[in-house]
Amino acid sequence: MTQPDLSLWSQTIEFLTTPLWPAWIAGGAIGLLAFSQRWITDQPLGCSAAFGNACARLGSQLPLFQSAAHSSATDWKLWFLVGIFLGGLVASLSSGHWAAPTDFGTFYQALMPTSTAGRVLWWLFGGVLIGLGARMAGGCTSGHTINGVAMGSPASIVASALFFAAAVGTAQLTQFLLKSTLVGG
Amino acid sequence: MNANNLLVRNGLFLLIGLVFGFFLSRAGATDPAMISALLLFQNFHLLWVIATAVGVGAVLNLLAKYRQWHGLTSGRLISFPHKPFVRTLIPGALLFGAGWGLTGVCPGTAPAMLGEGQWFVGVILIGITLGTWLVGWIDHRWINARGPAIMPQRPGNHRG
Repeated sequence: MTQPDLSLWSQTIEFLTTPLWPAWIAGGAIGLLAFSQRWITDQPLGCSAAFGNACARLGSQLPLFQSAAHSSATDWKLWFLVGIFLGGLVASLSSGHWAAPTDFGTFYQALMPTSTAGRVLWWLFGGVLIGLGARMAGGCTSGHTINGVAMGSPASIVASALFFAAAVGTAQLTQFLLKSTLVGG
Repeated sequence: MNANNLLVRNGLFLLIGLVFGFFLSRAGATDPAMISALLLFQNFHLLWVIATAVGVGAVLNLLAKYRQWHGLTSGRLISFPHKPFVRTLIPGALLFGAGWGLTGVCPGTAPAMLGEGQWFVGVILIGITLGTWLVGWIDHRWINARGPAIMPQRPGNHRG
């Protein structure tokens, strides 16, 4: 009688601890969660605005961070990011191993400077581009793509198309340059 | 809103964030190698993740809109605030895409990656905060010169 329940339970646990889920399951879960957030809290999914709250809490007096969008009443945006951090932690702990901190894949391994100092500058520069771009565009891949495109919001569709075009263009161009330097050198 | 409600609200978002971070990790979105494989057209796993997420979200949004579903805690009709077409959207989206392509990280996956043990993302998080601050600084100078440019006005988004 309890046998099938037990096996279903262990199958569920096994699935939850699998590091990589099939795309449609992971995507479906994210879509369902994004809608659940809308239903429960009546607030759209988004991540990059929280960095404006971070600036305000770090003491910036700039008017953008003193605006209502980043007031302390909206600090749930920061708590959301803390939650994401914990989610990654739970994912690693439940899978039984940490993500390799030096495994960036062959492309980024070849693209990035080899020295630690060079890489720190690379990541800092990349981060600045991400923060600058996301706040200028009014959202990132969460706020514009997962949330905005699913509402059919025109600005979000344009922003998402440009996110992908620029990212694909940057990756393809740098790979081309890498290859030609390797062949040339 | 009193402090107690604020605590519940922040805790609720912490919990939703936790599930979101867990899903992002299981989706492979926190692996820079998966991001580069998508951008170099070698592996479309993440494209299917994004397409399914948007598809499921779109169907539920349409259902909620036309069947007039009410929010669980607000008790009112669920709102669908569209983001505005700000003047800086196009250059911003291009800069964001370049940063995403160069690092394989975005603002949502960054905290999850840090939680997974990818310490280098700490540097990127500092960079994102610096970039965000830079927008506030440019915005300030812009307001002084020609009136508001970047300051996002999102009706219906400030109820907090």
